Amino acid sequence: MSAADRTADETVPAAAAPAAPAPGSPAPPAPEPAPPTKASPAWTLAGLAVVVLLAWLVSVLTDQVPELTAGTWFGNIAESIEYPVYAIALGFAGNTVLSATGVRRRMAAAFRTEFFIKIGLVLLGATVNFAIVVRAAGPAVLQAVLLITVVFLFTWWFAGLLGLDDKLRALLATALSICGVSAAVAAAGAVEAKKEQLAYTATLVIVFAVPSIFLLPWLANLMGLSPAVTGAWIGGNIDTTAAVTAAGAVAGEQPLQIASIVKVTQNALLGVVAVLLSLYFSLRVASSAPAEQGRRFGDRSTLAVIWSRFPKFVLGFLLASVVATVLAESLPEAVLEPRLDAAKELQTWALTLAFVAIGLEFNASSVREAGWKPILVFAAATLVNLVVGLGLAVLLFRGFTF
Amino acid sequence: MEHSERPEYPDDHKRFSLNEDWAATIVGLVLFLACLLGLLTPELIP
Repeated sequence: MSAADRTADETVPAAAAPAAPAPGSPAPPAPEPAPPTKASPAWTLAGLAVVVLLAWLVSVLTDQVPELTAGTWFGNIAESIEYPVYAIALGFAGNTVLSATGVRRRMAAAFRTEFFIKIGLVLLGATVNFAIVVRAAGPAVLQAVLLITVVFLFTWWFAGLLGLDDKLRALLATALSICGVSAAVAAAGAVEAKKEQLAYTATLVIVFAVPSIFLLPWLANLMGLSPAVTGAWIGGNIDTTAAVTAAGAVAGEQPLQIASIVKVTQNALLGVVAVLLSLYFSLRVASSAPAEQGRRFGDRSTLAVIWSRFPKFVLGFLLASVVATVLAESLPEAVLEPRLDAAKELQTWALTLAFVAIGLEFNASSVREAGWKPILVFAAATLVNLVVGLGLAVLLFRGFTF
Repeated sequence: MEHSERPEYPDDHKRFSLNEDWAATIVGLVLFLACLLGLLTPELIP
C-alpha cells in the first residue's frame, strides 16, 4: 500500500492511499481541495518508530500476560490470545491517540501494511514444506477459480441491482472476490475508477476484514473443522492478505500455512482478472472520453498486463519454500533448525508490524461518505463468500493431511 | 474536470506498487539468506 503517497492528499482516507499518484509520476490534472501534507523523512521515521514500538509491546504482552495472569480467571483466556489480537488492538489504540493529537496523517507513510505483510509471507515460505505447497496447489487453484467466479458475478449482479455505477461494481466485485485493497487498486487501474470509489472500497475491505480475523477461526473451531479446511476457508474468504494471515495465525500454524497458500493463489490470479476487466471495459463499458480511449486494452500485450499485475512476493514465497525444503534434505537438523527458527522469528516480527499497521492506517470517514448501498453489497457478498467458500473448503481440503 | 471526477490512472499506482512489491520480496529473501548464513540468529532477534 502506498502509504507514502497518501499524505500528499489530506482528503483521501488512509485505506485509499494506493490510488494516490506515485512519487515521480505526473501530477494530477485537477487542483486538490485541501492543502497537502508532505511526508517528511522525520515524520516518517517517527511513524516507523511508533510501529516498531507497538510491535515490541505486542511481543511483551504475548510473553508476559499469560505468565502474569496464570492462576487467575483471565489466565486461560490469556493463554489463547495470539499475537495478532494484541497487534490489531494496539494498532487501533495507536490510531486513536495519533488521530487525537493530529499527527497520524503526517506519520502515515510509515504505516505500510502491505510492505510488511509481503516480507512476512516471503519468510513464511521458509517454514512451509514445498511438498505441502505442491499438494495444496491443485485444490487451491480450483477453489480460487470457483470462488472468484461465484463471488465476482454475484457482487457484480447485486451491485447492478442496486443501481451502482459500473466502475464501482467492478471495484467491489474484484476486492471481494480476490484480495481486497490490492485487487481494488488493480481494478481501479483497469477500469479507471474514481478516487472516491477506490477510497470507500478500500475502507470497506478493512471494515469487513477485521471482525473476520477473529470470527472465522472461532466459527471454524465451533464447527470442528480440520486445520486444512479452516485454513482454506480463511484464505478463500477474508479479502485482504494481511487479515488472512492474521486469522490464520489466530487459528494455528497449520491453518496459517493453508490459508497463505490459498490466498497467494488468489493473489496470483489478480493479473488475469485485471486483464479481463480491462478487456470488458474497453469493449462494453468505457465511455467515449479521449483519456479512456487512450487506455484501451490493445495498448499492451495480455501477458505483459498479467505480469505487471502479478504479485512478485509470490515468487519470493515459493523460492523460500523450495530452498528450505531442499536444505532440509541435505543439511543436518541441528544445523538447519536454528536458522529456520531465526527466519520464523523475523516472520513473526514482519507480520506483527503489518497487523499493527492495519489498525494505525484505518480511517472510517470514507465509509460514512459511501452510503448504504456499497455496504449492503459488501455484506451480502461476504455472506455468499462465507457459505460457498465453506462448501468448497470442505469439498477440496477435507482429506488434506500435513 | 472536477477533483471528484478525476479517474485513477493505472500507471499512477502500478509504478509504485511494482517497486514496493519487488522491494518487499527482496527484503524478505535477503533476511532469509541472512538467517541461513547464520548472520541473524534467534538470540539476536528480540
